[in-house]
Amino acid sequence: MAAHMTEDQTLLKDAAERYLRDSYDFNQRRERIAGGVYSDPSQWQAFAEMGWLALPIAEEFGGLGLGAREMAILAELCGQFLVTEPLIDALAATHAIIGVSQQRESLLPRVAEGEVIPVAAIDEAETASRLTPAATLTQTDAGWHLLGAKHWISAGASATHLAVLAQSTDTEGLAWVLVPTAADGVECDGFPTHDGRGGMNCRFDVVLEADHILLLGQPASDALEAYRALAMTLSSAETLGATKAALDTTVDYTKQRVQFGQPLASFQALQHRMSNMLIQTELTRSLIYAACNASDSGHDDAARFARAAKVKATTVGRNVSQEAIQLHGGIATTDEYIVGHFFKRITALESWVCSKGEALKEFMALSPP
Amino acid sequence: MNASNPIPTDYDTFRASIRAFLKDAMTPELIRAGERTTSVFSDFEAGRQWQSILHAKGWGAPEWPIEHGGTGWDIQQRYIFLEECKLANAPNPVMMGIQMLGPMLMHFGTEAQKAQFLPGIISGNDVWCQGYSEPGSGSDLASLKTTAERDGDEYVVNGTKIWTSMAHHSNWIFCLVRTDKSVKQQAGISFLLIDMATPGITVAPFPSLDGEVEQCQVFFENVRVPVANLLGEENQGWTVAKYLLEFERGGQHFTIELKKQLGKLQRVMANPNSRAIDDPTYAYRVAETEIDVMALEQTELRIKGSLSAGDNPGALSSLVKVSGTELGQRCAELLIEAAGQSAIPWQSEALAPGYTGDTAAPAECVTTMAEYINSRATTIYGGTAEIQRGIIAKHVLGL
Repeated sequence: MAAHMTEDQTLLKDAAERYLRDSYDFNQRRERIAGGVYSDPSQWQAFAEMGWLALPIAEEFGGLGLGAREMAILAELCGQFLVTEPLIDALAATHAIIGVSQQRESLLPRVAEGEVIPVAAIDEAETASRLTPAATLTQTDAGWHLLGAKHWISAGASATHLAVLAQSTDTEGLAWVLVPTAADGVECDGFPTHDGRGGMNCRFDVVLEADHILLLGQPASDALEAYRALAMTLSSAETLGATKAALDTTVDYTKQRVQFGQPLASFQALQHRMSNMLIQTELTRSLIYAACNASDSGHDDAARFARAAKVKATTVGRNVSQEAIQLHGGIATTDEYIVGHFFKRITALESWVCSKGEALKEFMALSPP
Repeated sequence: MNASNPIPTDYDTFRASIRAFLKDAMTPELIRAGERTTSVFSDFEAGRQWQSILHAKGWGAPEWPIEHGGTGWDIQQRYIFLEECKLANAPNPVMMGIQMLGPMLMHFGTEAQKAQFLPGIISGNDVWCQGYSEPGSGSDLASLKTTAERDGDEYVVNGTKIWTSMAHHSNWIFCLVRTDKSVKQQAGISFLLIDMATPGITVAPFPSLDGEVEQCQVFFENVRVPVANLLGEENQGWTVAKYLLEFERGGQHFTIELKKQLGKLQRVMANPNSRAIDDPTYAYRVAETEIDVMALEQTELRIKGSLSAGDNPGALSSLVKVSGTELGQRCAELLIEAAGQSAIPWQSEALAPGYTGDTAAPAECVTTMAEYINSRATTIYGGTAEIQRGIIAKHVLGL
């Protein structure tokens, strides 16, 4: 089903897809993860060389100045090829947090080159709301003191820097600070995740120089909203890519798998389930692209569209990837077969940044323009 | 909201002109006919009156080419027109002639046929019904058994058609008939245009589940039809009908109606007497439905975009038909839940556009039950949801 893309967007998609098809082999990925390597530095370097990391950076800072629609193209491919490097994580943090920060001029070129790999750290295991962190930032004579903990940082182990959301004790507003994961006073515990990433929990008791302070007060709150909306859209797009790939794998498999003397694909009961999977996947795609376009055009309804996309992609991703396993049968429950890995990544994305329920509640609280 | 294709401001002017026209043209009776519509058809006479008003304005068939009376509007303008008509509660005329027969006539008809039939269709003076389904041929339409045997300059038609909506109000019927039994089913079918006044035709209307009469069975007994009323070649009827199906489904705009339903749901939630107030899950279910409608709307816009680029929407229209009808059913279910017992009174006379008396149900619930009942038919007519899923499996997934 055609979806309108500009010529440049088509070029971006084709080149990225070609690269990942040639260079991101599923079996190599599996071996790498089994060996405890959750992201491949040579891949990140390649992403930088292809301009993917510069994509959301404004042209005045040496970037390509592109928007959510282009980021979503990459996000979809990350889902399709099960990329474990923190690409959507870094794109969202770069665009919405670092890109509007006081330190952007010095940081953005380092992000574009792949030297700084930024991932946002928001969740805290013992704090009820993701939006009101218990971690604090206090200005002292020695510098800025960050105290607290962040948990479940997806692909945190692959990041060089964490964009940490904290409560500022001086202004009573929010703050974003950029913390090198290797800094003294930062204690990190890594753990493998079911979606093949290196997750991380971190404790901070660290005094930072002023050049680590990204945003304070209202701009920090604005960046949080911008980050969440973009991350919802990109996680929806990555979910979509994995969803479509799970469907395609299922269609191919049922055409080849013969039982009762005929291909599974010839049974109408299964055909109609696959039709449903396609219908829902394409409806989701329309909504995600609309969310991107609303965001890129600064439409009043952009925040609402991002929530809608997250709700729809989560619902459909879960349903389609469950169906994909069921229609395959036993083979899909093995680690060596790809379809279960789409299922796991989709499940991990469900609760990343916000859950379906949180997105739905926020959607209802936003009235249409 | 149209995020993928923002409407330029000159469409605002267009919309304003449509709105101004509707404000003048809609009478209280016409509005009531629109409000009390419970299926795809409004009150017949009100619909007919509305069609003649539109025709007088030059808007009788906006989608048709200009030479046959169309407006020359682009896709976006046609969408705005439909949207505004819906918002103004304009009644739905019987559209089988304009939406279905018209495009087939223009593509397959002779000059004489076009000259004979198109003017009556667009003015609404001729009311056409569709003779496809038969008691033994529903989803398996190609198995149809109504025969047309050649006798000189005439065909002699025998058999029966069913689910012939509005046949009791129609003076013409377009029919698929079997003209050759010796070949593959699809290859032996022809397309005939039949005057309902021809001797040998009997129309038997029957009530639907909501108690209203829209459906008929039509019987043909030695009905003599001039050969000049054959559309396309003999035995080409399946091709004629299929041509329409491919184009028909892509042009559907389910979200116009669905957004109206969502508006009703919002009003229901604001009504303190509504049963929805006591159900904490209700608002969440409405919100998820709204998100699904947004997704469908954006999909319709994607299809419109590819239509503008000259593509044939093909199987995508099946996707829209399945989702649009199933979402309509979900809205109808939510409305019946909120109405509760207040939707149960059955009061047929209250549906008439001329009715201004008291209603047994609260005014906002007069049509709720009938709409819910009739929504069940939407996934059956025009190719069942199962047929559509089969089309998607075959033509999109290659199964």
